[in-house]
Amino acid sequence: MSERLRIALTKGRLQEKSVKLFEAMGLDCAPVRNPGRRLIHALPNYPLDVVLAKAPDVITYVEHGVCDLGVVGKDTILEKGGAFYEVLDLGFGRCRFALAVKKGSDFYGTYKTRRIASKYPNVTRAFFEKKGMDVDIIKIEGSVELAPILDLADGIVDIVETGATLKENGLEPIEDVAQVSARLIVNTASMKLYKNEITDFLSRAERELGGNA
Amino acid sequence: MNIHINTPEGTRDRLFAECLERRQVQSALVELFRRRGYTEVITPEVEFYDLFIQSGNPIPQESMMKIIDRSGKIMVMRPDCTAPIARVAATKLRQLALPQRLYYDQTVFRDRLAHQGGSREIAQCGVEMIGAVGDKADLEMVAMAVDALRTCIPVPFHIELGHAGFYRALAGRMNMPQEEQERLRSAIEGKNFALLNDLLEPYRGEDVCAALRRLPYLFGGVEVLDEAQALAGPCGSLDHLRRLYAELSAAGYGDCVRFDLGLVHQLDYYTGLVFRGYAEGAGAPVLSGGRYDGLMEQFGRRAEAIGFAVDVDAVGACLTVEAPRLETVIHYGPGLLARALAVVDSRPAGSCELSPCRTLDSTMNLAREKGAAQVLLLDSGGERWMEV
Repeated sequence: MSERLRIALTKGRLQEKSVKLFEAMGLDCAPVRNPGRRLIHALPNYPLDVVLAKAPDVITYVEHGVCDLGVVGKDTILEKGGAFYEVLDLGFGRCRFALAVKKGSDFYGTYKTRRIASKYPNVTRAFFEKKGMDVDIIKIEGSVELAPILDLADGIVDIVETGATLKENGLEPIEDVAQVSARLIVNTASMKLYKNEITDFLSRAERELGGNA
Repeated sequence: MNIHINTPEGTRDRLFAECLERRQVQSALVELFRRRGYTEVITPEVEFYDLFIQSGNPIPQESMMKIIDRSGKIMVMRPDCTAPIARVAATKLRQLALPQRLYYDQTVFRDRLAHQGGSREIAQCGVEMIGAVGDKADLEMVAMAVDALRTCIPVPFHIELGHAGFYRALAGRMNMPQEEQERLRSAIEGKNFALLNDLLEPYRGEDVCAALRRLPYLFGGVEVLDEAQALAGPCGSLDHLRRLYAELSAAGYGDCVRFDLGLVHQLDYYTGLVFRGYAEGAGAPVLSGGRYDGLMEQFGRRAEAIGFAVDVDAVGACLTVEAPRLETVIHYGPGLLARALAVVDSRPAGSCELSPCRTLDSTMNLAREKGAAQVLLLDSGGERWMEV
């Protein structure tokens, strides 16, 4: 007997790329492409139901076991943490966390406690704790680049893709904090209870990713 | 004055069917434990903070709920039952002959981050066997873990066995700095295949590398033991698991037993067999246990120990228990209390109750409001049933 698995995809760009990957794996994703008003999309040719969610919610759903699998960025995993298996680096959604400061400023050359603005306070704390450095962290919800420009902060920790936004605003990345890409995560109990189903899905995904690498 | 009429986050009032679920699981487990020769221990809800730091079982300090007492000492709401029981066994039970078989049925408290949906109060039923080592002690424990879930879960479940010694043997053969070993361990625990590959890349020449790389996949039926042996060579831990499996199968437990050699959590604490129970529909393990032969020594008495705990409410959530429905209300006349009570006592619990009303009319109204099907009138003329 084959169980239907349920997967949560992060809405937006990762959803696009995930659907492309699934289609390359031979899954018919028409219900996800034409969602209508439904919230759960049952794939017609593979025992998988798809739900779409915001990134942190993907982790919540998988952690609580209401979804067996999830596709979510490493940035969210680092920030939110949680207990689940992180089984596959899907390779897409690549970017990095970086520490950026005002161009030309000497971030480390002072004994004063530095102030860092970030949407990712936990990632920021872990980064500076590892260095043994005390910093003040300020959580910013919107454009973090604004904080150093307005002199609210000495630097920011944020996702950097091309660095164009930073440059335009007179900031420069001075250090990488972590590499980011989309990950496939699995609920710990589901992995054990539906081993065959999950292994099948994983090996299809691995085959496809390996083929492209 | 503003008073709080809601309960603190992570706590809840349990009502009716929820209580029945919990009690049903507790009584089934307790009955099993007692039958197998285990005796109950109740330890304080509040203990010294130091106890749980000393025990070597790393409960993060932010998940302990702390209280400062009047002398300024730091206390915690018991975050775990094993350390207090080890404390008791090492002190008060010092003179008693080993092995000692103990069980507990009590709540542990863990602080959680806000809005994560977890509970701060976790009802646990568990056992500890102190001062017994070897296959037979391990067997008794695993068999009881299977029986524990069998007696109280109506859905498919299994117990998964692992061994702290297997990973230790592999990691010990690697020439890897301590800190990196810890990252390796956590990558295996989290089945983080990508990180594991990165960590092992510099060591690809070493022969244990292939086994470590494969470790997160080594879960499933007994065949994973053969695969592990093929990768890692002969190993005492694998032989141990194989012997246990043979005995368990002979005793009829084989169907419920599986393996996960990637079960490498809390390695400083567990010294041998580790196991977890999974039930269909529960998003997290419902049972967890293992052998921790180093624990008792922390409290000044050298003795081996093995045990497990069942998450009572996680198991309870797998049940469908309904609160009983009121069927009958009894209106009785003077001098007839004994007869009325006899009727109540003869009915299934909760299906029948006495009316406190003086007139039959009020009783009929009461029965209607409470949704009962009938009223039994007991008076000098005998008994009469009335539809509501």
